[in-house]
Amino acid sequence: MRKLKLPRYARIPADLLPPAIRPAALPPPAPAAPGVVLLLGRREFLKAMGVLAAAAMLPLTHVERAWAAARGRFFTRHERATLRALVDRVIPPDPPPGTDPGAADLGAADYIEGLLTALDRHRPLVFAGGPFSNRNPFPDNTDGTPSRHRPHDFFRRFLPLTRLQGLYWRAQLFGSAAVPDLAALDAELGGPLVGLRDVYRQGLALVDATARQRTGMDFVDLPPATQDTIFDAVDAAAPRDPRRGTTFIDVLIMHTLEGCFGAPEYGGNRRTRGWRMIGLEGDSQPLGYSIYSLATQSYHDRPDGQHPMAGPNPDEVAAPIPLSADGQRIQDNIATFSDAVSSC
Amino acid sequence: MREGKKKMARDDGVLGNRSLTRFDFCIIGSGAGGATVAHVLTQAGKNVLVLEAGLNAYPDLDDPRALHYPVHSNDEIKYAVRNFITQVPDLEPRTYRTSPTATATVEPDVNTLPKAVGGAFQHADCKTPRYSEVDFQLVTKMNEALAAHPGLAVPGFGADAGSANFADWPFAYADLEPFYVEAEQLYGVQGDTSNPFASPRSQPYPMPPGQRMYLAVLLSQGALATSFLGGPLHPHAYPAAITSQFYGDGALRRPPCVDCGLCSGFGCPNNAKGSPAVTTLRRALLTGRCQLRYEAQVVRLVNDGGHVSAVTYVDRDGNLQTAAADAFVLAASPIESARLCLLSTTPSGGALGNSSDMVGRNLMFHLQTNVNGFSPRRVHGERGRAVTTGISDFRGVEPGGAAIRVIDVGSGPQVFMGGICEMGGSQGLPITEDGEVYAIDLPPALGARRGTALKNALRDMALGQHLFGLEMQAEDAPQLGNRVELDPRVRDVFGQPVPMITYASHEYELSARRFYLPYLTQVLSNAGATHVFTAPAPCSVLGGPPTSRHVMGTLRMGTDSTTSVVDAGGRFHDVDNLYAADGSVFVTSGGWNPTLTIFAVALKIAHGIVG
Repeated sequence: MRKLKLPRYARIPADLLPPAIRPAALPPPAPAAPGVVLLLGRREFLKAMGVLAAAAMLPLTHVERAWAAARGRFFTRHERATLRALVDRVIPPDPPPGTDPGAADLGAADYIEGLLTALDRHRPLVFAGGPFSNRNPFPDNTDGTPSRHRPHDFFRRFLPLTRLQGLYWRAQLFGSAAVPDLAALDAELGGPLVGLRDVYRQGLALVDATARQRTGMDFVDLPPATQDTIFDAVDAAAPRDPRRGTTFIDVLIMHTLEGCFGAPEYGGNRRTRGWRMIGLEGDSQPLGYSIYSLATQSYHDRPDGQHPMAGPNPDEVAAPIPLSADGQRIQDNIATFSDAVSSC
Repeated sequence: MREGKKKMARDDGVLGNRSLTRFDFCIIGSGAGGATVAHVLTQAGKNVLVLEAGLNAYPDLDDPRALHYPVHSNDEIKYAVRNFITQVPDLEPRTYRTSPTATATVEPDVNTLPKAVGGAFQHADCKTPRYSEVDFQLVTKMNEALAAHPGLAVPGFGADAGSANFADWPFAYADLEPFYVEAEQLYGVQGDTSNPFASPRSQPYPMPPGQRMYLAVLLSQGALATSFLGGPLHPHAYPAAITSQFYGDGALRRPPCVDCGLCSGFGCPNNAKGSPAVTTLRRALLTGRCQLRYEAQVVRLVNDGGHVSAVTYVDRDGNLQTAAADAFVLAASPIESARLCLLSTTPSGGALGNSSDMVGRNLMFHLQTNVNGFSPRRVHGERGRAVTTGISDFRGVEPGGAAIRVIDVGSGPQVFMGGICEMGGSQGLPITEDGEVYAIDLPPALGARRGTALKNALRDMALGQHLFGLEMQAEDAPQLGNRVELDPRVRDVFGQPVPMITYASHEYELSARRFYLPYLTQVLSNAGATHVFTAPAPCSVLGGPPTSRHVMGTLRMGTDSTTSVVDAGGRFHDVDNLYAADGSVFVTSGGWNPTLTIFAVALKIAHGIVG
């Protein structure tokens, strides 16, 4: 059985949707933070694009980019700071007394930079190796307990790409124009693929241009509440890439999630705090959760009592732990949306 | 198994005996069909060349000293985000339409399968029920039921037979049973006799079932509390080619599954899953009579219409190569096997093996029905092997599977051939399930695009820790119009026309879906689920192209050369040295996960070849 199968809302033509969930019938998303919502009109948006085109001409930026590339990095200092601020609007740090970090401290921006420079390395940073990290020990099958023996971290040994994977990832990062073998497919797939490097370079410039337009300041210098406002303004106006079917903000959100909750070897999820934040252990091999015992010829749960296979978690034996209001709302809405689209 | 600093020895795109130059057989595809045939042929002393289009995740698979670990891992980015072993639509698209008059459009996923040494099974959760006796003689049995029950009407049968293309298989369950036994032993199947609807068996399962998942315990309680035709449903251990103890000897020994959780959609890090790579393919490689070339994309079968002399393929460096053999076996999975026949025109201009005009037709996918709910308690689906338990009451057969179940729920006799139901949930995928659903898939007003709302919902794992549900794998009717053709416009990265898939559901499976849906919903409610909801049906307006990963038909097996492509032994009616031995030969799709039957049919074909 595979993942929950939901159609992607943005890809559904509005006239195919049941009236109850058409865009016009739904309330606009609640602003994430108090403050005036400043939406850019189309004209202002185009003006902002002009500003960013001018910004890209600055020779200082060229020097910084060359310096970054020489060090195996991609972003300028300012771009990196802007990106860190942006990913923190996706997964913000907890206000005190909370303790969970935001996406920037989890390493999401480093993850994204790792992706954009993935092909600059001897071993492309695309597919982590296997079979195991060294986060879990081997099982001791003589008595069905964890052993003290841990594997090497094979995840660190990134895998070589096949010829086709190399073509695909080159196009992903640099655009299909950089990969002649794929140019013939562009017409069928919705036009040329814009490389992720350009998606980020232009997206970050657009964010700053929007911020300067509205406030006269760079995005990174604004207080979080105003950054939220600018973020939502960009989200509402950002053009949808016909080939990817996504906006810059869609790409940013997915990469932020990857940088918070992917394996740490990819550069994010620092000290696995992303996984801990959501109560997951991440990769569990080679120990896993069922340990076979040759002595009893049967499986044992982990001896810590915290990871039962066939029963509730120890903290929910007596009663379920209630969801947060946000979690409850998501469950309500997934059911509503899925029922609405499955009746079509 | 060998552990330690792995030297990725010489990766030259070849496994097995590199010095072989003359081949009795060339097998196209190293998955469920191809690996099985390679095993039998090499055991019988034949020299075999296997050409695999995909990459190799099993370095040193041919090391006779020990079975090594693969490079598979518990890694959501590698598999679910970046599609490590799945065919990439940007390089090899497919086009799809629901009617022959529509223009097919490029879709990101039309039942796209993994493309790798060992095939798609390594990426599945390896569920392996057998087909029923009725599956092999569906027309005969259904006509008997229609004759015995006046007033009974079944879409696709009797007066409506012209709307579908049902046929009996050219052999019976009893003929295949010994090969089911052999397949269960070769691949290492766990299971028990708790399913009353399972087919009769001459041998016990090689291994007992492993531990049940918590969500399966809850859903089993729901099933036992649900009344169907006057009694409770029958939850049962789900047979699976996954070890539940040490299995195999010496250089074939595999450890027990550890229920690591990332099972469906992921390769198995410790070789507990019975991937064809670590079972039959490895056996073939160890004979010294097998050479496997991977990243070798076959593009033509060189033929004179009645005989194949060679294949041409694009090698891993992008160069065109030729390989000759005395005989050839197609096992590239149904869409690609049929496409190769269509690409390989004969001197007279038609597609190879297509005097019946049946090549590419009768494509079958199963109709999956998903009913989900949320459990108030966390179901921790990240512990387990995706599916441990199922229900077979909705397959539409009597216990034992030898007869069709004719039911009367007050409106006269009816037959509904649904399928086995998997009990599953999320596997703990915070990026591609929880996060993507909240932030991207849902309408922005209903979702949680970012900020504290997204963070809180993720901290709850409101989806991933609470989703559980049933998925019915219902039989779909074979139809002449559901087919693979060559797209007239779109070409892949190899410059070849891509598969154009025309597929629409038949009333046969849609009526079964409607009938069983309320019962599936009841099971969820009785299991304590809140918010019970249904996912859109594939091929419906918003359901999109089928993504069942169960692909069958296109090179139908039969005794009549005017209505089928290959004979009961898998050999093409038109071509004297070409065989098909994958899911493409299936006559009907059954209501069960197909891979064990692919194994068994491939064994039957291969044993028939060597005599």
